[in-house]
Amino acid sequence: MTDIPLTITEAAEGLRAKRYSSVELTSAMLKRADSLDSQLGVYITRMDEPALTAAAQADAAFAAGVDQGPLQGIPLGIKDIIATKDAPTTAQSLILDRKWGEGIDAPVIARLRGAGAVIIGKTSTMEFAIGMPDASKPFPVPRNPWNPSTWPGGSSSGSGAGVAAGLFLGALGTDTGGSVRIPAAFCGISGLKQTYGRVPKAGCAPLGYSLDHIGPMTRSARDGAIMLQVMAGYDASDPYCADVSVPDYLAALTGSVAGLRIGVERANHLTWPGVLPEAVSAFEDAVAALASAGAETPEVVVPHYQQLRNANTLMLRAEASSYHLADLRVRFEEYGVHTSKAVSGGAFASSGDFVQAQRFRSLARQEISELMAPLDAMVMLTVGCGAPEVEGLNHASFAQWPVFTGPWNLLGLPAYAIPIGFTASGMPLSMQVVGKPFAEETVIRIADAFQRLTDFHLQLPPLVAAAV
Amino acid sequence: MPVPKDVPAAVRTMLEAAGLSVSEEEFKAFVEMYPMLREATDTLYVEEVRYEEPALVFTPVAPMKGA
Repeated sequence: MTDIPLTITEAAEGLRAKRYSSVELTSAMLKRADSLDSQLGVYITRMDEPALTAAAQADAAFAAGVDQGPLQGIPLGIKDIIATKDAPTTAQSLILDRKWGEGIDAPVIARLRGAGAVIIGKTSTMEFAIGMPDASKPFPVPRNPWNPSTWPGGSSSGSGAGVAAGLFLGALGTDTGGSVRIPAAFCGISGLKQTYGRVPKAGCAPLGYSLDHIGPMTRSARDGAIMLQVMAGYDASDPYCADVSVPDYLAALTGSVAGLRIGVERANHLTWPGVLPEAVSAFEDAVAALASAGAETPEVVVPHYQQLRNANTLMLRAEASSYHLADLRVRFEEYGVHTSKAVSGGAFASSGDFVQAQRFRSLARQEISELMAPLDAMVMLTVGCGAPEVEGLNHASFAQWPVFTGPWNLLGLPAYAIPIGFTASGMPLSMQVVGKPFAEETVIRIADAFQRLTDFHLQLPPLVAAAV
Repeated sequence: MPVPKDVPAAVRTMLEAAGLSVSEEEFKAFVEMYPMLREATDTLYVEEVRYEEPALVFTPVAPMKGA
């Protein structure tokens, strides 16, 4: 098999047209990993044998006339902080008890398997979803397929790089401050952080309890809709999971934005230090494309923007500190140096500060609700630059980069990062489509409509185009 | 709360209170980082928050245990 499909949608059609089997598709993607993964560090654990067994089962189901939907026979990568019953979960850390999650599928994994998906491997992350690239620990240092000297973003690094490199057709990431959307942006793919509580997060090693989301990472927004359809819905194992009905996401993809009111947030994004001129022009081109397609694009300004970022950071560090403090006290050196520094930051905020952040969160929820009342969605940059170099990267240096994802974790709103162009050096750029609570169908509809007008999401990194 | 005049002493006290023992290099990094964290936290004490309830929800019904 030489012509590997780019998207889940394309592969689902190919499988049903019998142009290839799931075993052939899965084998081709494993072969591509043989060729590329030593350069990219996508996998912590490859699951060749169970993946091929699952692929054979999917093929047998097709042969028996059983169609479980568009994920049947589709290879997916799983960020290695989500429990899978047939592979260990490390959180890319020496700290996590290897018995954690042993023999258990997280609810979201069980749902994907139930839809016939092929779990092809566990992907690299930043340690506990908060570290930074660290060659001193016995885990891969993930790299960006668009330029392997650069970072694919984090913390769902391997999931982002793996989708961009075509090592699997979709992946799960997790997002507490941007960890689905940042790698999606830097790798030129689509990454969705849906509404907080839309997808159960039980079976995922926590980072920030009130900020964590498990989200789909795919090339296209349409593929994201396919994954979310299976992942979404109430599960009692997650006390934060919302018992809210799940709409038909694919049915919402009309291809049209005509008549939608999409607020455009320039004020807090386009003049931020470090935002590249190419990012500004790509964003303006994207807004113009939406307007040409019939959307109204009024200017909006998110109030208390800096506080939104600060509150997310404070809460993330405080909640992570709560989870890690007991281990930090006795195993500080076993953590990666970036991780221990980041989670120790929780020690520098008081309990009163934490509650103040929660009071600010109440205020911000009300302010954004009022801002969005006359709108269907908002758009803004995801990041204002291309991927940074891996060498020398740490939290202090990355904090200077123009990254705009955290406020939507604090507010729990759906935010879809989609590609909008490239920097002068050929690295992907991205914008976010932000929606109202539980209005993923609108967010995905806008992202899908934009992708019907553009092909940035279908571009292949040169490294991959030259591979098998 | 303003940034303390003696940042190293404040950082040392907070680390000790948290039970964290760090290397001198890490300590210096925390001393450098702390004023920024404190200033960022202080931005949350805006006037409009004065009468807000915190976004904390507790229910007395125990949820099912997850993985």
